[in-house]
This record gives sequence, structure tokens and C-alpha cells, in this order.
Amino acid sequence: MVQDGWHPTVCYQCKAECAILAKVQDGRVTEVKGNPKYGGKACVKGMAGVTLQYAKDRLTKPLKRVGERGEGRFEEISWNEAFDIIEEKLRSLYDRGEGHKLTYSFFPHSLTDPKWHFLNAYGGYINTGLPHCDSGKIVSEIKCWGGIPNHHIPPAWFTMPKDGIILLVGRHAFGCLDDACVPRDIMEAMDRGAKLIVVDPIFSPDAAKADWWIPIRPSGDTALFLGMIHHIIENDLYDKKFVEEWVREGDFDKVKAHVKDMTPEAMSAICDVPADDIRRLAVMCAEAPAVGVDGFKSIMLGQALDFGHAWSIFLAITGNLDNPGGQPIPELTPLSPVEPQPPGPPPLNEMGFHRTGPNRDAFRNYSFIMEPTWYEAQAIKDGSLKILLVTEANPALTEMGSKEWQKAVCMKDANGEYMLEFLLNTDIMLSETAKYADLVLPDQTHFERYELLYMPWWYNFGHGVLLRQPLVKAPGEAMHSNLVFIEIGKRMFPEYFQFKDDVEYYDIQLKGLGLSVEKLKAMGGKWSPGTMGFRKYRDGGFGTPSGTVHLYWEDLEEVGQQLPRAILAPEYDADVEEYPFIMISYRRIHINGTGPWSSNNAQLRDPASGQSTNPAILNPAAAAKLGIGDGDTVTIKSRTGELRMPVRLTEHIRPDCVGIMHGFGATVGRVAAGAGHCDNELIPDAGSHLEWQDLIGGEAHVSTRVRITR
Amino acid sequence: MHQLGLMIDMNKCIGCKTCVVACRNHHGIVDHENCMPGEIPFYIRVESLTEGTYPLVSEHCWVVPCQHCKNAQCVKACASEAIVKDPQTGIVRIDADKCAGSKACIEACPYNVIQFDAVRNKAHKCDLCHDRVVAGEIPVCAEVCMTDAISFGEVEMLRQTALDQGREIDRKKSAMSIVYLKPTPKNTLAGV
Repeated sequence: MVQDGWHPTVCYQCKAECAILAKVQDGRVTEVKGNPKYGGKACVKGMAGVTLQYAKDRLTKPLKRVGERGEGRFEEISWNEAFDIIEEKLRSLYDRGEGHKLTYSFFPHSLTDPKWHFLNAYGGYINTGLPHCDSGKIVSEIKCWGGIPNHHIPPAWFTMPKDGIILLVGRHAFGCLDDACVPRDIMEAMDRGAKLIVVDPIFSPDAAKADWWIPIRPSGDTALFLGMIHHIIENDLYDKKFVEEWVREGDFDKVKAHVKDMTPEAMSAICDVPADDIRRLAVMCAEAPAVGVDGFKSIMLGQALDFGHAWSIFLAITGNLDNPGGQPIPELTPLSPVEPQPPGPPPLNEMGFHRTGPNRDAFRNYSFIMEPTWYEAQAIKDGSLKILLVTEANPALTEMGSKEWQKAVCMKDANGEYMLEFLLNTDIMLSETAKYADLVLPDQTHFERYELLYMPWWYNFGHGVLLRQPLVKAPGEAMHSNLVFIEIGKRMFPEYFQFKDDVEYYDIQLKGLGLSVEKLKAMGGKWSPGTMGFRKYRDGGFGTPSGTVHLYWEDLEEVGQQLPRAILAPEYDADVEEYPFIMISYRRIHINGTGPWSSNNAQLRDPASGQSTNPAILNPAAAAKLGIGDGDTVTIKSRTGELRMPVRLTEHIRPDCVGIMHGFGATVGRVAAGAGHCDNELIPDAGSHLEWQDLIGGEAHVSTRVRITR
Repeated sequence: MHQLGLMIDMNKCIGCKTCVVACRNHHGIVDHENCMPGEIPFYIRVESLTEGTYPLVSEHCWVVPCQHCKNAQCVKACASEAIVKDPQTGIVRIDADKCAGSKACIEACPYNVIQFDAVRNKAHKCDLCHDRVVAGEIPVCAEVCMTDAISFGEVEMLRQTALDQGREIDRKKSAMSIVYLKPTPKNTLAGV
């Protein structure tokens, strides 16, 4: 399709979507590397994209289920037949006036994805195919300073000044779910004199490079930050100028009163970080020219909104908003809307549908724009989720409570009909989710399709858009999911789909930049002036109603979350005697943030170049008490599940935790099937125990309490 | 002295294995359609060592390619004279046309870095991307390294760079053409 040589495009081995160059030779992709115009790094997953491209497991034809859901038996059908089935199923629900009972699980590539356009026309909802990994942070940033509501925006580490503090709290930044340039940027900041401090129950590759590893108790992060906030305020170490000028009047005093008794000693008892260490870290951060914080697993270990809130207060009172090395506050790239714009679904909190159905009261303060994946099973059971579309996600394996999800999608009503009327899966290869799908459509890889990508976290490199472009032909009849839903959109909502194809759709969006796909291609696939802008609030204030930073949230007074609570996730405080360990689900670079295509990639599962197995990791001191030796097979039992798996003893983990690397336990795929064990077997479906969930921040836990026996 | 080599900064290697996959892709040693884990040859591998006990733990990673030895045992072991130390670059290369597949080089190599292609009955290994370096480029592993932990150049210059940076060379890992920079202590703030 293109001439031999290196071509700019965008990786999609994971959600970071790094700018890459791909080498094409005789119509085949042969090599990948980072694009020097955009930082110049790609990770091991990106390199292994070549193996994905030519994997035997690639789907090449539409498949229709024969037999029952879960059996995984299919027959090949034509695209015409597939389109007719999709149209009929979607029309049926829409014509009943129940478009809001459709959910599409896909990674939205910001607002540039045509699937989002379709969803808005239909009136359905989106989840990102993730358990809302950082929505607690996003919600808190919107509430505190009016941040951009899209995923995480880590600090731009390359702007970190000498003596700055890089604080990774449950964030495996070297695991490349951020851009692949991040490890290099952190290392270079350290060369300049910045300090790297890693707060994590597990000694990650980041911790191995850190000046200080703080092995915190899981979900103790809020307490740690509140203890620091107490010390900083009590000792007048806060940024008085910023607080006086930019924090809403009265809010600082409310925070001060709130943390009055949250001394380092009191918080130490909760988070298990020594009080002296809390004080030392607080002073280091207060005295540093800049502090950047990034967190991820921390918020997934429970009480996400409390932690996001505490973290936001900490950044505000130490003057680390929109400064070099601190928390960036992005602006949106001026893309053009595709007119006419469909209205979108009704606001979530106005509808009595799946998330809020039987639990409507519990969710009434939930304000985020996407649905949590974990509620799907409950929604199917209560009849408020009727059609589920899944693209490049694998909820049957990779979500907590996956067993409950599998059960729910197979449930039938009194007439013998599936309660979930239609389950569509588009992917590059078969996955566990595909086994339950009524239709499986062969998708295209990132080497085969067009996409206009605009990710706020690329803000680290300045405003920008990138073009993913087809370099080689897709096998068989593989078609990108965007083209599938443009076709369905044209059939069902022609008024909103007046563009020819994906390229014309992107051409319209690019008009805002005076560009087109062709022009962008000629520019090397990248538009970015490289500007970030620092302390932009000085020109127009913050994005909150008052234009100042809101540390106190009066709208959450009725649920007692107007200020962060210094509590562990309730799930970890319960049944401690019976389940003495906390199982932590952790990630490594080889399959971090990916889909079935990476867990089924021979290079990423190879012992020399990837991660081949996932034994449970356990501290030797804890193992000795249980009489467990290195390599022994143990039983790990949670309140809802059980795993029998080998254990590896390592000093890399707290003695009260056991770690299981996520992304294993697949039952489908030539490479992946039968390798390793699935952490989600142990984690209950979050929707089945709402009393332990953060119903405002929207996180589901990726860990739970367990018992270990030989 | 014409010896080219690599310098591995153990302060920066994060053990990500990006170099392994990029190297395999460049040298075309992966059968992407059929490969299965554990069966794919590799010219470079990653090793690691953990020291200390919780919570005062440290871990270091490093990569091990062919060391392009001064008096390479593989050269001596090869009866068919298929392995040559290139006089211009010091790169130890295997001439596939001459290789008789005796595997003597594999047994002789103290670094365990030579691979065997059973289908072609040939030994093969890292040639420091000879095709690239003679064209003025750097080896693939050095180019793609996520943290710039791998650098390339004349070994004498690499050692001089280490000296200039005040870094100590780990001669136990290699006294050959790969220069390993000892890691400086980490986690130093813990337990202060």
C-alpha cells in the first residue's frame, strides 16, 4: 500500500498510543521504532506489534454464533449478512424508545472517534473498556480546578526542574501506559537532580530506580496525603501566595480544620508509613521547586475520590498547578465538530437505567460521563442493559467480577431469550468475550487503518493530533470497527452521517486546524506547535464556577465527602482474621493496558522478551510463617473465588500482601491459552457489593482480601 | 585499537526488553506467523539481581549481548573458520556460508550468547548490527533503548566517557567490548 521505507503512524499495542515509525518492506511491516518528531521512544509492546500483525490467530471473516453463548462455536457469514443482523438488532431496541439501554465499550480516542458519533446519534452510553481506572482523579480535578474531563494527565516530567520531586503513587510509569518517552524523561530529570519517590505496596521497576521506595498499605494513600497536608499547614510550609490568590475564600480554613487531628502519627496508623517518614516527605515536597504526582493503581486500590481529592488539595496548597514539573492543566486542541452533531444520550443522573436502576439512590451523586464496566452484569440482570457492543476490550477476562459478567450475559428470561438481547464483539483475534458474542467481526490492526488521534495526555508534548494511517493490507475481510459503525450510522441515522467515510470525517475535524488528512500525512502525520503554557490561570482563572480552586465540595456534604476521608477501602478493613492478606493485582510493561492481542503475542509471552507466566509473588517472611517455599503451589481464596497456583518468593512485596500480575489466564488463543492464572477469579463483581464501592468516584477495586494455604 | 562496543548504564536499564524485540525484528529472526514463546532465538538477553531484604531492597538490570571478545573462544573453537573478528571494527561475525553447524562455538562461548538455527544448521548471533554501523548508524538496541541505557562507540571512548562521568566500570560482568557501568546506590532515603 505504501512504498518501502519508514512511515510515521501511531501504535495501538496499548492505550498510550505512542507516535511510531514503522518500516515497510515488500508490503510487510518488518520493524517499529519511536518517532523522533514526538519524543522518539516506543516500548517492547510496540516493537512486538510486528508479531501481532502476522499472527495466525487474526480474524479474517465475520462470525455468527451457532449454539449457546459461551460455547464459542461460530459459522462464517458475509459482511452484508452481518450488517443486516446489527441493523435489525439495533433498530429493534431503538424503535422501542430504549436507545439508552445500549452500551458501547471502546477506547474513545478522545472525541475524534466516529463510534462516539454513532453512539450519540443512537442515545447509548460509553464505557472505556476499563474499570474507570482513574475517574476518581478526573472527577476531583474537575471539581477542584475545572480540569479537562479525559483520562489522566501526568506531569510533563521533562519540565521537572532541578531538585524537583517526582512522586509516583501506585503508578507504574515505567510500565508504559503513559507515553513510552516517560521513563527516559524521568531518568533525565533525575540526572538534573530531581528525586524519584515511589509509593507502592510492590517494589516495581520504578521503585528499583527510586531514591525512596515507600511500601504503603494498600489504599492508605489518602491517609498519607492527609498526614502530609496536616504537617504542611501546621508548620506554615504551604504556598501562601498561591493559597491567598487562587484558592476560593474559606476553603483553606475548612481544610485546615478538617485535618486538625490528622497528624502524621494518626495517619501512620492507617497507611502504615512511619510518622517521621510522612513528615520528611511533606517537608521535602514543600521545599521543592516543583512536585509532580502521578497515581493509578493507588486509586484502583480503593476510595478513589477521597484520594484524588487529597492529592488535588496537596498540589494546590504546595503551588504545583500548571507549573513546570507540576500538574499540567491542558487546553483542548481546536478541532472542528462534525455537523450536524447528534444530541447524545440523556444525562446519566436523569435516567432510571442500568447504572442507577435499582441503585439509583446510591449513585445519585455520581457525576462522571462514562459507565463503569463492572456494573454491566447487574444491569443485564435488572433489564436495563439490552445491547452491549465491545471493541478491543475483553470484559469476560480482564474485568473484576468476570465470572459474574459471564453468567449475566448467558441469563435467559421466561421465554428462553437471552436477557442481553445482543452482544457484538469486534476485535483483531478471538477473545474470551468473543466466545459469548452473537457476532464477532474481524478488526484491523493499527498498521491497517486510519484514525485521527487526539489525546490530552499527549499534552506532555504540547497540543497535538497524530494520524494513524494504513501501511499494509489487512488479511481477508478484516474491517475497522469505525467503518462498521459509519455504515450502520448511514443506515440508521443518515442525517448525522453525511460524510463518505472515516477519512472525510477526519477531514471535517481537521478543518479547525486548517488541515486535512492528506495535508497531515504530508506533514509527517503530526500537528503540534509544542506549546503547553504554564500558569495559564493567571490570564483567565481556573475552569471552576468561581474561577478559583475549590478545595471544599459542598455538593457532597450530604454523603460526608465534602473533604477527603482518611479511611482504608472498607473491603480491606473487613474479615481481616479470615482473609489476612490483600491480593494486589499488578501490571508490567509487556501487557499493560492492552487487549487480547497482546496477551496472545508470542514475543510478549516469550521468556526472553516478555512475561511468560504469572506466579503469585509473596514475601519470604510471610511465606515462612505459612510453611510455604519458593515454587510451591498454593491455594489463594477470596470471599468469592479461589485459585490454585505456584508462588514465587521475593522481597519485592509487603509481607501482608500477595501480588498477582494481571493479564493472564486466557482460555482462547494459540499463545495465551492455559498460560498463567487470572487475578479476576478472586475479585468479586463490584456491582454485587455496592456497600464497598466508591459510588461517587466510580472506581472498582482491582484487589481484595484473601487467605493463602498450602 | 579499533574495537567498537556498547556501554550499558545499570542506573538506567529498567529491564523492559524492548531491545530484545527490536533486535529480533531487525535481524529477521522471528517467524511471526508460527513462533511460540520459548522457541524464538535472541541475540540479547536481560538479567537482573535483587539485593537486600524488605523494605531495604534494591534491584539492578542489565542486558547481555555478544561481548565481541578480544580473544574470542568461539573463533578458536570453530574448525571451519566461519567466525572472524573483523580487524576494522573488532566485531565478531559468523559467516553463514562457512558455518558447518558443529555447535562448537556455542559450547565454547562463556557468555552463552550464540544461537543455533536447526533448520539451516547454522550458528548465529549478535554482530553489533554490522550492516548498520558500517553505514554510520548505531546498533538497533542502542537506538531503541527506552531510557538510553545503551550507548555505542569505540570501547576506548566509552570507557573514557564513564571516567569523565565519575562512574565505575563493572569488570566482573565483562572485561571485553561491552562496558557495564556499576549502578549507584538506590533507595538511599529509605530508613534514614
